[in-house]
Amino acid sequence: MEEGARLTRTRHRISAPGRVVFILIVVLCLLRPCAAGGDPTLAEPDVDRLLEQFDALFESSGTVGRVEISIVKSEKTRTLRMRMWSQGDDRALIVVESPARDAGMATLRVGKNLWNYLPKISRTIRVPPSMMMGSWMGSDLTNDDIVRESSFRDDYTSELIGPSTEPPGWKVGLDARSGAVGLWDRIEVVFSSENELPVQSQFFDRKGRLSRTMRFEDVRKAGGRLIPMTTTITPEREDGRRTELRYLDIDFDVELDESMFSLSQLERNR
Amino acid sequence: MLAIAVGQLAFLLTAALMNGYGEKFFESVTGPMVGHIQIHAPEWRENRSIDLTIGDLETTLEALRSDPGIDRASPRVFCPVLAALSEEGLTGIVVGVEPETEFHEMGLLSGQDPAGHLGDHRVLVGYGFARKHDIEPGMELALVGQDIDGSIANDLYTVSGIVFTPVDVVNNLGLVMSLEDAQEFLRLEDAAHEIVIHATQPDDLISTRERLAVLPALRGMEVLVWQDVVPQLVGMIGMMDWYALIILIIVFIAAAAGIANTMLMSTFERTHEFGMLLSLGCGPSRLSRMILVEAVFLGLIGVAAGTVVGLGFVLATSGTGIDYAALGGSDQSYDVAFGGLHLSSHVYPRIRALDILAGVSAVLLTSFVSVIWPVLHISRLEPMEALRQ
Repeated sequence: MEEGARLTRTRHRISAPGRVVFILIVVLCLLRPCAAGGDPTLAEPDVDRLLEQFDALFESSGTVGRVEISIVKSEKTRTLRMRMWSQGDDRALIVVESPARDAGMATLRVGKNLWNYLPKISRTIRVPPSMMMGSWMGSDLTNDDIVRESSFRDDYTSELIGPSTEPPGWKVGLDARSGAVGLWDRIEVVFSSENELPVQSQFFDRKGRLSRTMRFEDVRKAGGRLIPMTTTITPEREDGRRTELRYLDIDFDVELDESMFSLSQLERNR
Repeated sequence: MLAIAVGQLAFLLTAALMNGYGEKFFESVTGPMVGHIQIHAPEWRENRSIDLTIGDLETTLEALRSDPGIDRASPRVFCPVLAALSEEGLTGIVVGVEPETEFHEMGLLSGQDPAGHLGDHRVLVGYGFARKHDIEPGMELALVGQDIDGSIANDLYTVSGIVFTPVDVVNNLGLVMSLEDAQEFLRLEDAAHEIVIHATQPDDLISTRERLAVLPALRGMEVLVWQDVVPQLVGMIGMMDWYALIILIIVFIAAAAGIANTMLMSTFERTHEFGMLLSLGCGPSRLSRMILVEAVFLGLIGVAAGTVVGLGFVLATSGTGIDYAALGGSDQSYDVAFGGLHLSSHVYPRIRALDILAGVSAVLLTSFVSVIWPVLHISRLEPMEALRQ
């Protein structure tokens, strides 16, 4: 009898190390649901809202700013400093301030049309549709980027792909709608889970190849908005080449005269 | 004899036309656009970047032109541009050339009036480009491109004339200017994108290429024979050679059938006469020899006649050429663009000694072979049986 009682007491006793292990397992099980997304700050975002914000990131009734563009090619860097004005989503004027060789060149966008003014020959030339995919000012931006006639919300179907680890955030996939005319067959955008700003965009051509990557960095408050002040465009398959676009200053909702976005003003003011 | 002459004539005419067509195609390929050998900076052919250039151009050209294997070395500059008469930009290509090296027969501007059309900010506009956009001599064109530093290149040029070249892309997009003007426009100092070489010995390009590739002036440059530049056209030329051979075989078979038929008929139709000769004491072997000698003489005379007529035709048309369009009933010649080349409906027949020899051999062989059966028949002929036929 005594032996059986002794056996019973031995079966129900848990050693000290075993208790520690048990407690650790419980703690880990409690933590796992949080890491998997139980934290409310990592809740899935509203993709429509993200894209709407992205489309309107630099738009306002009157946006004024100074921009510095560095075009890096192998070991050479060419830097342009420009002044820009824009109104809504379809009017923009960009004037090169430096270097001296390029000073006075201007680009005017009205709707889907794009013109370049060349002070050396006092001529304004419209960029034909066939050249929209051509380089703007020798950079990795295309004329189409400047015109921005496409809207992420209107011209692409979107889907939330899921969390992204590199860079961290939420990845959204955009596929061009059938009938939409444009270069990019697919775009994948990573939005920050902290401030819902774009962190990276990757552009894929019609063969499904990654063509270029845009990174949005140096997020700061400017003109009353939180915006990435630096955009870096890196083309694929071109080693050592990139374009860096930095906003030196920017202001939103400035009152601008609509007449400044006209060809006559383009030439007159230069 | 007439059948033999016609057979030889058909064979020679076909060979002459195929040779002329093949020669024209080869000249189009290795002429103005591609040349025999091309020199570039590495990777320029793949991405056409403005800054991938052949530097120290003057020194390089001097080294090339001093080589006895080089007939001409033509430097060229290329740059995509927007051309504008007014506000509307038109997509074009600036082609910078040395006028003095491009006005020859194999040059980009062959057949054009060389008198003072280039230099001093003057351009020649490709025929197709001018027609499409209503550009005429005397007009002012604004050209906008990208220079070697990536900056916007822009300047004004006067249209000095309209040019029609054998190179289709120049006709449809080309704005031809002097090399100096193109270098100034793109800020290329003493540099070019391409040097097109025409060799003195086109049959020995491999050794010429190997010799050029080790020149100090060309260190690091890509030196290619035309077969490496346009491999797709190599395949086409090979196909054309096979095509020509097949055509010749078909013509030969048709000619051979006619010759054989004629020889057989002329032998069997004289069975009665052969029977008479046999009955008069002429032996079968002697009779067979007579027939063979007859075949030899007929063959030789027929071949000679066909060759003379064939040569006469080629001589008469080799200067003016034959217009396929006119043969087809059209009142206008046509020009066909293919793979950037410009091919005309005009063909200039060419005949080679090997073609004559091949025709003679084939026709004579056919003549001899076609009498073997009759000779065997005659050798076994009974005179009385032959006389009754």
